Amino acid sequence: MHKISRIGAALIIPLLLPACADQRILEELGTVHTTSYDLLPEEEGKSSKELLITMTIPKNDPENRKVREEILTTTSINSKGGRIRLSRKTELSLVSGQLRNVLFGSRLAKEGIWPLMDTFQRDPSISQRLKITVVDGSAHDLVTEKYPPHPMTGPYIERMLEKQEKSKMSAEATLYDFTRDYYDDGIDPIAPIVKKQGGNVVMEGIALFNEDRYMTKIPADEVLIFGFLQGDFRQGELSMDFGESANKEANNAMFTSLISKRKIKVFANRSRDDITVNVSVQIKGSVLEYNGKMDLSIDQDRRKLERLISEQITDKANDMISKMQKNNVDSLGLGQYVRNSMSYGRWKKLNWEEVYPHVRVHCKATMVIKDYGKFK
Amino acid sequence: MNDSGRQENKEPNMQPSMEYAMAELRNCADLNHLKLPEIGVDFVYFGHFIGSQEFTREISEPFTHIRADEVDQLLKRTIYKPITESQSLIKAILSGEVAVFHGSNTYSVKAYDPKSRAIEESQTESVIVGPHDGFVEEVEVNVSLIRRRVKSSHLKVIKLEIGELTKNHVYVMYINDVVNMEHVNELVHRISGVEMDAVFDGNMLVQYIEDNPNSIFPLFISTERPDTAASMLAEGKVIAILNGSPSVICAPASFFEFFSSPDDYYQRWPVGSALRLLRLFALFMTLTLTPIYVSVTTFHYEMVPETLLLSLAQSRSRVPFPPLFEAILMEITIELLREAGARLPTKIGQTIGIVGGIVIGQAAVQAGITSNILIIAVASSAIASFVIPSYIMSSCIRLVRFPLIILAGLLGNFGFMLGIGFIIVHLAGLTSLKNSYLTPLAPSNLKDWGDIFIRAPFSMLKKRPFVNQSPNPVRNKMRK
Amino acid sequence: MMEKLHPFHVSIMIYMNQSGVIALILPRLFASNYGYNGWLSLAFFFAVSILNIYLISLVYHYGQGRSIFEILEASLPKFFLFPLYVLLAALWTLIGCFAAKQFVFIFQMLDFPTTHPMLLKLLLDILAFSLVIKGIYSISKATTVFFWLFVWMHLLVIYFFGEFQWVRLTSFVFQGETDFVQGGFDIYSAFLGLEIALLLLPYAEKNKKLTRAVYIGNLMSVLAYLVVSVISFGVYSLEQLKRQQYPVLDLLSYIKLPFIERMENLLFAFILFPVLVSVVLYTWASVLALKRIAPKADTNWLAFAALAFSFGAAWVPDVISEVEMLLKYFSYAEEGIAFGLPLLLIIVLLFQRKGHTHA
Repeated sequence: MHKISRIGAALIIPLLLPACADQRILEELGTVHTTSYDLLPEEEGKSSKELLITMTIPKNDPENRKVREEILTTTSINSKGGRIRLSRKTELSLVSGQLRNVLFGSRLAKEGIWPLMDTFQRDPSISQRLKITVVDGSAHDLVTEKYPPHPMTGPYIERMLEKQEKSKMSAEATLYDFTRDYYDDGIDPIAPIVKKQGGNVVMEGIALFNEDRYMTKIPADEVLIFGFLQGDFRQGELSMDFGESANKEANNAMFTSLISKRKIKVFANRSRDDITVNVSVQIKGSVLEYNGKMDLSIDQDRRKLERLISEQITDKANDMISKMQKNNVDSLGLGQYVRNSMSYGRWKKLNWEEVYPHVRVHCKATMVIKDYGKFK
Repeated sequence: MNDSGRQENKEPNMQPSMEYAMAELRNCADLNHLKLPEIGVDFVYFGHFIGSQEFTREISEPFTHIRADEVDQLLKRTIYKPITESQSLIKAILSGEVAVFHGSNTYSVKAYDPKSRAIEESQTESVIVGPHDGFVEEVEVNVSLIRRRVKSSHLKVIKLEIGELTKNHVYVMYINDVVNMEHVNELVHRISGVEMDAVFDGNMLVQYIEDNPNSIFPLFISTERPDTAASMLAEGKVIAILNGSPSVICAPASFFEFFSSPDDYYQRWPVGSALRLLRLFALFMTLTLTPIYVSVTTFHYEMVPETLLLSLAQSRSRVPFPPLFEAILMEITIELLREAGARLPTKIGQTIGIVGGIVIGQAAVQAGITSNILIIAVASSAIASFVIPSYIMSSCIRLVRFPLIILAGLLGNFGFMLGIGFIIVHLAGLTSLKNSYLTPLAPSNLKDWGDIFIRAPFSMLKKRPFVNQSPNPVRNKMRK
Repeated sequence: MMEKLHPFHVSIMIYMNQSGVIALILPRLFASNYGYNGWLSLAFFFAVSILNIYLISLVYHYGQGRSIFEILEASLPKFFLFPLYVLLAALWTLIGCFAAKQFVFIFQMLDFPTTHPMLLKLLLDILAFSLVIKGIYSISKATTVFFWLFVWMHLLVIYFFGEFQWVRLTSFVFQGETDFVQGGFDIYSAFLGLEIALLLLPYAEKNKKLTRAVYIGNLMSVLAYLVVSVISFGVYSLEQLKRQQYPVLDLLSYIKLPFIERMENLLFAFILFPVLVSVVLYTWASVLALKRIAPKADTNWLAFAALAFSFGAAWVPDVISEVEMLLKYFSYAEEGIAFGLPLLLIIVLLFQRKGHTHA
């Protein structure tokens, strides 16, 4: 028996060699970092819509000991087909295991991006943390543009988005988040939207989707308000200008170290399809800058300021919610709470898609000033 | 031993005589023959075995001042052992005794004091804090070093003979009531069963008496430190000392005991615990670092973080070989350096280290033969392997890495895990004196974990290790 | 020196035999068969598994330390038993075989798209063979080490506390498209492996402790399944969960550490250990059964034959869906064995008792 197992062991080594065919040796790979998709203008005589696909591949230049970026572009009707075409243009074998960011041009996003998302879900080499981003305009132009201070466009955009996310100036939209919200019947997915502006890539706001179609966006200035409504968070900065809103006492204030808590309450009347959603947001923050006539060390004045800010945020939030209702995007996931407030039968009967624009949503924000800095 | 038995049978009750001895030991130029014709006494001995003081005390002093008729009286002293068999006469001379011939009577007297190395610290198991003596080649000195530490009537010694040609002695020591007698009997049985012409070192003896001589892992601990040996005895192990070897065998042993050093007990317990964890981490590192490098660069590029990806690809980009070949090349280079360093005197060894480590390493990277990240991986895993206190275990672990690297290079993480699986399956089948080699991990004995993965405070180490199966497991009777 | 299995090792063996690739799929099975909050049905399956163990413990109780083969052979004729043994041995070998093949296929999908899966399977079988021939005591020791190498992975759920949202669990229970019966059989296959406890009796310490150990092992599996399922339901939306082939694999791929990403590549390799334990224990069981038919045969050769048969059978399914289908059908059969065999034994034992008191 021992002899047999020894001979067997010796036979294994040559058997292992076929596995070498599957080797993916690091330096022989073109690890695609960012891919962008645009819808080409429809041409006559072509039945299916063609996509403009662009990929950025960070590459080593061993001679100059430098890293540079290779940008490849092609047209194809689907994602992987594009990859096959692109690989004809490069000496590296293109792989998507290091894909970090995928950009959709706004025209394509409006048509719906789900057909492309299928491959991301299916391909086991693609990360669940892949970022989904919408580009206002052409994604191809954004990627192929040279940004002199940033030699590598792909990582530049990705890091910019990441930093914005951390300070709540953007929304987190990974492949995981997007798919999860897409399949959930009580929430619609979101994604950050960027734009080419001058020599930079600029954060434009948050793109709101209905299913997989890009409907409307929240401008960059109001992203924080969206953040308040979206859920709890810590960290973030808020700047408020009261110039025109009320009696010209205060001009502007800047808050930092925000701690925001959101609560959603649903009142769904059993008999009628009468649904009311109350969203209450509680924000705590410290004042970092204040220009105005009030004395923050006086309790009354501080209360007043708090009230002013609360009112302003409440107004903005209510506007934002009605905008979302008008566009029929439930990006806040109110549907999830409505769903949890009723029985399964009723939820199934209720067509949330249709009901949502007419649901009464009240938002109430309260601001508390934790401290006002080390200066009186 | 069978051989000698046969001889005794062949020549029963043969009277020992000087003629016989001289005939047996003919052509031995180092044999001394001292004649005292005035009193009719002859001495036959090997001069280099005999200490000059002893010789003066036992032979020259007593015998030079007496008359012929007083010799019989003198030889009645108990230090002069009468010999009745010719075979034991030869044995006595060979083991360093002086044969005294007077008329038809033969005696032997002990005057054994050969020149031997002084007691000094062991090179392979040095400690910073703690006793600095080490075993030497002389078994009696070694036994004495242990008895100096264990002054107990319970410390028992069994003397065995081994090597049909070399007729060496093995002393098996144990502490009665603390040791499991089954282990003693088993060990004695195994040592008596050795039928080899020559056994020169404890580590060599181990390979004849281990449960599985084909295993790559050492199944018995061998130490050159008397304090370690004494603590092994106190833990309930059996030890065996081979004459001519400073390596003392301790059994039964478990895999994890090879990762503890006496240092751990001499330091404060948090420090000792940190050291234990550090060593286990070293084991983990030395086994995984290079294989993971190979597997990631060959198969799993997804796993590299973005920031590392480019520098890794950059350092790999000029290397003409696949990662597997590159890694094996570097590992072999490191092994060459280690082996060269070990064979050369310390001063030249250092030079080799500098030349090899810095010059070759630097040049290899610049020439594009290897990537610098691999150099880091190989070097750190080599350093980590030297952290393992037992030299024999550390060599095994280093050897085990090679199949792991090859498997990782051929089948990525699957191959690597398969390799780990093979090692574990192998370890699970091993026993040391019929006790599971993986105790206390498997069979799990959670109480012992305090002395394996960490070095818990002494107040928590109340029991002797489970692997020793001691009949008297409690060792610490203090309340606190 | 006849060594005995410590209860702790019995627990670990049961646990390791139960978990495996099925743990990666379980959340999907809950989602697609039991709908919203399908993980709650785990309580039901837990109860069923307890009943199953109770039956086994009755066999222990009435059997008084005899092995199941001795019990059967005392009352039933050999021409009836031998086909049963062959059936059991074949079933056990094939279950282990297809579980291994499934694991290999997933690995192939992840990393080795063109490598022949049977090569990977061969390596796994060789590893299994080298463990099976060492006997149950060494199997238990290796299993214990594998357990420690595997069980820490459950701590990774901490990583998902940030993504977890209670609101996603919804307030519905078992609503949506459900298939209680067939889904139930599918899910119960996650508990298969405890029937091995029937065979452990002659090797273990006291009966009572053994029973308790089996309960504990089963409980460990349930807790592991519970944690994984709840996390999956709170991290994914229901529809998404239904569509994910291996939801837990996706969970693992979400983990990112500063020095390493895409942990599923590494962590999936750790699943090798429970899979290996399943293969080894089932092969060991079928060797035991074969040994009753051919008592004089060399155990090593029997193990070799069983694994060679398993290797041959693994050629049959060529695509992953075929393996999963076959595994499903064999699991149904094994579920029958898990309940049927103890019941048969209890009936036989009751007759033996009756006969005994009458005589």
